[in-house]
Amino acid sequence: MKKNLIIPIAGLSILLICVVYYLYQPVLSENDTEKLPDILFETKDFYNDEIINKQKIGDFFIVNFFASWCKPCLAEHPLLMELQSKGIKIIGINFRDDKDNFIKWIKQHGNPFEYIILDDGSIAYEMGLIGVPETYFIQNSFIQKKIQGPLFYEDVEEYL
Amino acid sequence: MLKNTFKVFLTLLFIILTSFGYSNENKLNDYYKSIRCLVCEGQSISESDTEFSINLKEQIKKKYISGLSFKEIQEELISIYGEEISFKPPNDHYLLWLSPLILLIIFIILIRKKFKF
Repeated sequence: MKKNLIIPIAGLSILLICVVYYLYQPVLSENDTEKLPDILFETKDFYNDEIINKQKIGDFFIVNFFASWCKPCLAEHPLLMELQSKGIKIIGINFRDDKDNFIKWIKQHGNPFEYIILDDGSIAYEMGLIGVPETYFIQNSFIQKKIQGPLFYEDVEEYL
Repeated sequence: MLKNTFKVFLTLLFIILTSFGYSNENKLNDYYKSIRCLVCEGQSISESDTEFSINLKEQIKKKYISGLSFKEIQEELISIYGEEISFKPPNDHYLLWLSPLILLIIFIILIRKKFKF
């Protein structure tokens, strides 16, 4: 090999290695699972003043972030009611809401939740919430699916 | 005499406490500028008034007051939201940023060898 080609070939090889390395960096896809943060099981339910019972809630359940000031939450509410009627357990996390408005909202539109937690934003932060509504499908303490924005029938039809 | 010393002490204490609080607020505000609002277009959480930004600012402040450093907060934020949460690129990407320069150097070497100047 010609001596004067060693430097360019070495340079190109380093560059190629770098490109391959960056291309194969792990990227989180929708199928990757993430563990549910412990904070969810350390906070008390608003109505019963008890911590979420892991046995009662079961292996599969849904976590739904909502607020009384959130219009899309109202749009997805009938679907949550339907899911509850089919026996699906839902943990409702009320995100940065006025307590009185939240109570009124639940009375007016129905309560599809097994547990309701009032969140000052700490749980939302730990779970990486972008905005309400947001729904997480949990299997064995791992997030299987995450829906940002309101739920549509197609998102939950397999459970109905 | 004792009264005056006490007054001076109180004034000094006040100055130290207020300057400490002021600098902490400033540090936090500077830090907020480096965090991207994920629901806004090209804005940092410092300039944004969305629920996402307001909450993130509150949570970062809580973590900072509880004793976490900005580096630790940054690591936690990236582990939760991914690298896009930060405006600053991670250090290990500098090699990638330098790759055009490396290519240019290789190109110059090749041209020089070819035309022997």
